[in-house]
Amino acid sequence: MSDKCILLIDDEEAIREVVQIGIEIEVGWQVLIASSGIEGIAIAENQQPNAILLDVMMPEMDGIKTLSNLKANSQTQLIPVIFLTAKTQAADKKQFQNLGVAGVITKPFNSMTLAGRVSKMLNWDK
Amino acid sequence: MEGLESFPEKKLFQAIFENSFEAIMIVDDHDCFVEVNSCACNLFGCTKEELLGRSIFDFLIGTLNSNNKERIQIRYLDGKNKTLKYKLVKDLLPNYKLLILTDITQLKLAEEELHRQHQRVKLFSEVTFKISQALQLEEILQTAVTEVQRILKADRVLIYQLFANGTGMAISEAVLPNCRPVLGVEFPEEVFPEEYRELYEKGRVKAIADVESQQANLIDCLIEFLHEWNVKAKLIVPILQNLNPKKGKGKRTPKLWGLLIAHQCTNTRQWQNFELELMQQLAAQIGIALSQAELRGNLEELVAQRTAKLREANRSLQEEINDRQKAEAALRRSEEKLSLIANGIPVLIAYVDKHQSYRFNNQAYQRWFGFSPHKIYGSHLKEVHGKEEYQKMKQYIDKVLSGETVTYEKDMTFQDGNIHTVNVTYIPHIHKQKKAVIKGFFALTSDISDRKAIERMKDEFISVVSHELRTPLTSIHSSLKILATGKLGNLSPKGHRMLTIADEQTDRLVRLVNNVLDLQSIQSGKVKMNKKACQANELMLEACQAMQTMANERGVTLFSQTVNFLVWADYDYIVQTLTNLLSNAIKFSPPESMIFLSASVESIEQKEKRQTSINYVTFKVRDQGQGIPLNQLETIFERFQQVDSSDSRKKGGTGLGLTICRQIIEGHGGKIWAQSCLGKGSTFYFTLPLLINKGGSFDE
Repeated sequence: MSDKCILLIDDEEAIREVVQIGIEIEVGWQVLIASSGIEGIAIAENQQPNAILLDVMMPEMDGIKTLSNLKANSQTQLIPVIFLTAKTQAADKKQFQNLGVAGVITKPFNSMTLAGRVSKMLNWDK
Repeated sequence: MEGLESFPEKKLFQAIFENSFEAIMIVDDHDCFVEVNSCACNLFGCTKEELLGRSIFDFLIGTLNSNNKERIQIRYLDGKNKTLKYKLVKDLLPNYKLLILTDITQLKLAEEELHRQHQRVKLFSEVTFKISQALQLEEILQTAVTEVQRILKADRVLIYQLFANGTGMAISEAVLPNCRPVLGVEFPEEVFPEEYRELYEKGRVKAIADVESQQANLIDCLIEFLHEWNVKAKLIVPILQNLNPKKGKGKRTPKLWGLLIAHQCTNTRQWQNFELELMQQLAAQIGIALSQAELRGNLEELVAQRTAKLREANRSLQEEINDRQKAEAALRRSEEKLSLIANGIPVLIAYVDKHQSYRFNNQAYQRWFGFSPHKIYGSHLKEVHGKEEYQKMKQYIDKVLSGETVTYEKDMTFQDGNIHTVNVTYIPHIHKQKKAVIKGFFALTSDISDRKAIERMKDEFISVVSHELRTPLTSIHSSLKILATGKLGNLSPKGHRMLTIADEQTDRLVRLVNNVLDLQSIQSGKVKMNKKACQANELMLEACQAMQTMANERGVTLFSQTVNFLVWADYDYIVQTLTNLLSNAIKFSPPESMIFLSASVESIEQKEKRQTSINYVTFKVRDQGQGIPLNQLETIFERFQQVDSSDSRKKGGTGLGLTICRQIIEGHGGKIWAQSCLGKGSTFYFTLPLLINKGGSFDE
């Protein structure tokens, strides 16, 4: 699993840092980081990460808009996307699933177990 | 037979003349007898020889006229009179007249007697009539004495009433001015001894022509008494009253009530039979009048009683009317007040009859929709609200008209064009006696737009705050977890301890945020229970599995009963509820203790007896913990109500768990409660609708 590369798109610097450090410590994956949707799409196009962790609530281009752009982009459309969200309601979760995300991880989460959850969601651990 | 011509004329006349019953005589121009027949001799009481040559006016009084209808009288030497009818034929022969006389004395006497009798009858009927006309007894008695005095021309006529003690008194009197009145004078007992009374009682009458004569046979004291009053002759008849026999007992018995007495003071007087009869008849009339007066008295008494009763009834009726009027006035005032209130409050109030027509609307209808209450009175709901709106309302109307109170919320467009959320309640108007009969319903509609807006704001606020808390919590939580790995450098044991505390508290803060959001979602109705048939056993197993790690950590054993029935529930929420209850039980259980999770449909038989169609499954979570004080068994289900506030810190609870459980269970139409024995443990129960009973084991 150590060869995985993950892209994290989140406007919160603190989140970006704890996720990056947590995943590196936990499983030693490479974690690319982007602070906005636009930046994230560009990195995704260039670096082709194995998965994208995408924050839903972001200024300007939010996670949903970013997702649709990623899905609309032929270079990024096949990269699995997992939402990171503070929206915990069942209705929200249902809405996200309909958008074609690979999974939803609600905040607050433990960055030290995040890699495990992502692996499980994307069936990497089999 | 041959005619009279065949008889010798002279001989014929001679025979008629001699044998006639009439007195026939021939008189000359000087009215002297020339020839008389034997009947004439008999009439005059003389022989033919004594009569011939004498003037007829030596015997007759009066003159003879030729009209023949006159009567004439004959006077005899002894002074006696006879009345004669005569026929005078003047021109029979020159200088001679034929005179025929018939004695009609007896006839005249009979005539006079008849006349007198007629007069008496007339008088009597007049008096009787007058008596009968009079209603008051005093007036009757006075009429009687006055009339008797007038007819009899007596000096005094009085009515003497006998009293029980033997004395008596003149109570009515008609007396001539020259006599002393006796009215009101009480007669001593002696003048009317017992034997007199007895005789009168038998109906004796007494006519005394001369009170002093031997024939009168009066007792001395009475004679003295009569002297005193200067009475020379008297006529006494008893007044007998027919008493009413007691009901159903014997005939009427006459009682001597008094006497009707006529006095002659100036002279003695021979009383005539008719006078006696008149007195008797009048006395009888008075007797009748007395009985009638008695009857009338009874009747009047009866009438008086009835009148009193009627008056009483009338009075109570009047009181009732007054009371009613007061009550009506009070009702009017109350109605006015109610009307003021009904029209003043910002709620639509209406009464709709069973035919779905408005029977009352308050003024709010005018303000909100511009519907005049008068105009929509009697209109059908469909007419007022339109077909489309009516279709939406219909399901609730059907419910309320089946006797069920209904509450629902909907949006309505007011006359200002704005859409308002309203809360509508329909309350059935159930017939007081016939419970099955619904007469109509009351419709109460209140504008809850403001409340809804505030609720939305509150929900948004909670939601935003919760979301906004999550992001920094994620950073803190993750940072602490990273530090705890020790891969970023080693910490001293105290540093580790601080890290653990910060980590635990962050966990708690996360749970709190989650719970607040959960509660808000359930309460606001944002979350719909996704109910389906669930195996109770699966729910219980999943909850136990979720809590097994925690139980192991605490050294507590979980026991779950195996059951086999389906419940109608939202799987995730019920697992959450069971997990929450188990988590609480574990937190408050001492090590080495046990927790039992079970479910049963034990109440099914009772429910069947009550013929309730819905049956329930009761879930139980029983621990052997410290227990809950009795007075807190209910409050623990309220927000932030823990048995001991230090518990929440000690046990890491949020104070919202049981509140969420209650919300979930009530959302399923069930009930949740707890029973406890301090120091021995607690049992938490909740019920869910049973779907199918597959005959599971009910043993714990």
